[in-house]
Amino acid sequence: MTDVPVSRLRNFCIIAHIDHGKSTLADRLLQETGTVAVREMQEQYLDNMDLERERGITIKLQAARMNYLAADNHQYVLNLIDTPGHVDFSYEVSRSLQACEGALLVVDASQGVEAQTLANVYLALENDLEIIPVLNKVDLPGADPERIKEEIESIIGLDTSEAILCSAKTGLGIKEILQSVVNKIPPPKDEINEPTKALIFDSYYDPYRGVIVYFRIMSGSISIKDKVLLMASQKSYELDEIGIMSPNQSRVSELHSGEVGYIAASIKAVADARVGDTITLLNRPASKPLPGYKEAKPMVFCGLFPTDADQYPDLRDALDKLQLSDAALKYEPETSSAMGFGFRCGFLGLLHMEIVQERLEREYDLDLIVTAPSVVYKVNMINKETIMIDNPSLLPDPQKRDSIEEPYVRIEIYAPNQYNGTLMGLCQERRGEYIDMKYITTDRVTLIYEIPLAEVVTNFFDQMKSRTQGYASMEYHLIGYKANDLVRLDVLINSERADPLTTIVHRDNSYSVGKGLVEKLKELIPRQQFKIPIQASIGSRIIASESISAMRKDVLAKCYGGDISRKKKLLKKQAKGKKRMKAMGKVEVPQDAFMAVLKLN
Amino acid sequence: MGVKDVLMPPRSAYVHIPFCHRRCFYCDFAVVPLGDRARGSVGPGSSSINAYLKLLHKEVSLCPYGPPLATVYLGGGTPSLLTPQQISSLLENLRNHFGFQQGAEVTLEMDPASFDREYLQKVLEIGINRVSLGGQSFDDTVLAGLGRRHTHQHLINACRWLNNAKVRGDLVSWNLDLLQGLPGQDLSSWINQLEQALETRAPHLSIYELSIESGTVFEWKQKRGELFLPDEELASEMMILTSELLRKAGFSHYEISNYAIPGHASRHNRVYWSGAGWWGFGLGATSSPWGQRFARPRTRNSYDQWIKSQEYNGLESSLISSLAKELSLEDQILIGLRRKEGVNLIALSESWGWNNEESASFLELLKIRWKSAFEKGWIQQKGRRFFLSDPRGMMISNQVLIEVIRWWESLPLDAVDLSSREVLPRKVLSHLVGED
Repeated sequence: MTDVPVSRLRNFCIIAHIDHGKSTLADRLLQETGTVAVREMQEQYLDNMDLERERGITIKLQAARMNYLAADNHQYVLNLIDTPGHVDFSYEVSRSLQACEGALLVVDASQGVEAQTLANVYLALENDLEIIPVLNKVDLPGADPERIKEEIESIIGLDTSEAILCSAKTGLGIKEILQSVVNKIPPPKDEINEPTKALIFDSYYDPYRGVIVYFRIMSGSISIKDKVLLMASQKSYELDEIGIMSPNQSRVSELHSGEVGYIAASIKAVADARVGDTITLLNRPASKPLPGYKEAKPMVFCGLFPTDADQYPDLRDALDKLQLSDAALKYEPETSSAMGFGFRCGFLGLLHMEIVQERLEREYDLDLIVTAPSVVYKVNMINKETIMIDNPSLLPDPQKRDSIEEPYVRIEIYAPNQYNGTLMGLCQERRGEYIDMKYITTDRVTLIYEIPLAEVVTNFFDQMKSRTQGYASMEYHLIGYKANDLVRLDVLINSERADPLTTIVHRDNSYSVGKGLVEKLKELIPRQQFKIPIQASIGSRIIASESISAMRKDVLAKCYGGDISRKKKLLKKQAKGKKRMKAMGKVEVPQDAFMAVLKLN
Repeated sequence: MGVKDVLMPPRSAYVHIPFCHRRCFYCDFAVVPLGDRARGSVGPGSSSINAYLKLLHKEVSLCPYGPPLATVYLGGGTPSLLTPQQISSLLENLRNHFGFQQGAEVTLEMDPASFDREYLQKVLEIGINRVSLGGQSFDDTVLAGLGRRHTHQHLINACRWLNNAKVRGDLVSWNLDLLQGLPGQDLSSWINQLEQALETRAPHLSIYELSIESGTVFEWKQKRGELFLPDEELASEMMILTSELLRKAGFSHYEISNYAIPGHASRHNRVYWSGAGWWGFGLGATSSPWGQRFARPRTRNSYDQWIKSQEYNGLESSLISSLAKELSLEDQILIGLRRKEGVNLIALSESWGWNNEESASFLELLKIRWKSAFEKGWIQQKGRRFFLSDPRGMMISNQVLIEVIRWWESLPLDAVDLSSREVLPRKVLSHLVGED
């Protein structure tokens, strides 16, 4: 698209905390520029997946190209690149920030800056982005723009004298936002004559066209006739399509330095066109790729097993298909004597794990047992070997190992100061080491802890939210491994070891966790036709035990003409519950029992 | 010729009389409480009753004609709130519409506090020949705790009158309802209840375990932690004991909750568990004349509206024989297994329309699902019949029935929905309507 000179291109993104109104604002911008007619407007246009719309969060980013007639009477092209708003996807965020010259920092005018926002602002500042502060939801009664402006200045050090007051809901401030994108955000550098380098900031799998790759051209150009080379995967392709997102895909013949667009090239899996990879031309390749490419590295692992063993091949096919569109998803077959055949899967974080699980159940109609999340332990063996363990039940026996190291994260929690006590308590319970506490305003603090990742992936987030009535937010990143006195805690159900319930815990906590676990399991596993002992053990030593007494009675009493339908409904409900249970030996175990370790108090 | 031509027409009718003095604390039935002073023809509540009876007569007259009835059941609510004249005219209307078979069983549900000896004599004269008495308990404190109006003395009197009527030959049979698993009940108090029940000489006992239904006083009490029910251990011991004690007394445990001296099983109730059809009349009543169950609206206004729409817009489709749909094999097994004699799986699956190979392979799948139930002796086989053992199998019947549901869900579509096949099976339901 050569009709607009580079000087009139603007590439920007929106940085916002969940719920601070990013998607609604994006919708407004599309409307205001006439990119999407009002009647075509679906709520939250940029969030494409059903799941995203239901959860109100952006998982996969999208982009939109808008034409805007600015105050100087010139046509500008504004590319809005959406960013995912969750800590699990910070790498993706960093790539889409790199594709931009500026960002709108959207902050809720009553709630203020949150941890996630801050992390992304720092990323944006590192990438040299021009940041335009926007205070959203100023129409709400609790809004206090002046206080929030102060907060932004003191926390981020950003000049807020020209911050835009906006309400994406009423449309207030939308024109000013567009005008300041034109005025304040610099145009891309004109590097049309350099060898082609385009940054992939998103890709998704389309079953008919193969992978659709979203990119920003940093230098040179790409035309439909070109053969492209992906520098990380070292694969080359002929293009089937090249185009722009407005926001629906529309084809063009060529795109130049500074522009944002997509290609389709019959690429088979997103793993071949990973976010962060560099597209260049086969006949005139760039000498080196753009900086910052990283392999996706799963942090959280869990076992996925079909409740019905017959569904194993279906689960494998579904994972194969999902991986076509999710390069961060890793999996390998896992066999457990207790659970039969399944997969050990790696995810970027807990949200990523939930999303994959939900998509498997919803889109592929599978009934799954998901085991409690685990992290990767580094085990130093007596024989000087070091092995990585992502499945607690595979931890070698104590005689063979010298020490166990576990991953640690640096966690930053932002919250009103009245929650200091409860949050510090939580971090301490979770074996956190206090690093620092900073007052960012007179009544808001940052708590910084170093804490084992294993403690974070076991419902730390939910606990933090519930103990602070939802006011706290957090951010974490991996800082390395640390040796600790860890032990493997096994669970025996009906005297058989239940692999999927095995956990690795600190020795000091092992008794209380073991006791809590068997009590919880007694609650969660329904009575069956025989008595079931439930025990927790470390090695061969039983440290806690309970038992579930046999079911003696399960009957619907009165059942006459009018009752028959109602009674059948009850039976059907019971049958459905049973279908979602997994047989471990002779014992039927319901899905939520596998997550018992997350439900301990 | 399709299914409809060979389905047996119904020979039973259920009539619902929703009125009660009060709603008992455990009851979630479609009832209309009228207060303690309510009377059938004059006095408080009588205009409600008269208005309702008018609708009921209307509904009977709108019903398609059918062969003479073998069983009629007036249930409630408290049908004994009606005057003998009101009951008589209902029976008359049914008799004119369908006719009654020779020796038809005509049951009236009665509340011990709502009648005296003369009343009983009158209803027997107008054609009632079986009574089901809502005794529930012999203990005054327990009765008060259930929200019942009657006392121990009411119940003893009522039982004596009924027994006398039976001895005289005016009454063919009668039933006494008892509730098991009540708050505070223990093993010895339950034995005492059973002994008193046996002393009444009732030839039929319905023993229901109390279940807590939504919207009842008991549910509310349970939520507040004020209801102390026997635990599972105790409740199961009560069931075992009941079965043993009543067997020794000569009763047959012919259905999960029902016991009878030979010859006194309720013919009407057996219709429900046999898979045969029945007509239903009245607010909240369920009918299933031609395979499909239909439940009428549960409030007076909506029932009134429904009768009007029957009159002006045509009959509810499940009442029309040409739209007959047979009861699924699944349902036949589920309800058939409640009976002592269980089900003949091979005969049922043949009449359902499976060929020999299908029957053999599908039934084998069911037996695999029943494997542990066989091992535990919950389900047993005698010849071609499969039945729940008494009492252990019956007590835990849901575990067996759930497997039937899961089995049915796992079968291929054209095995469970025969209309997807090109040739419809022909079936005869007559063998299901076997008499006692």
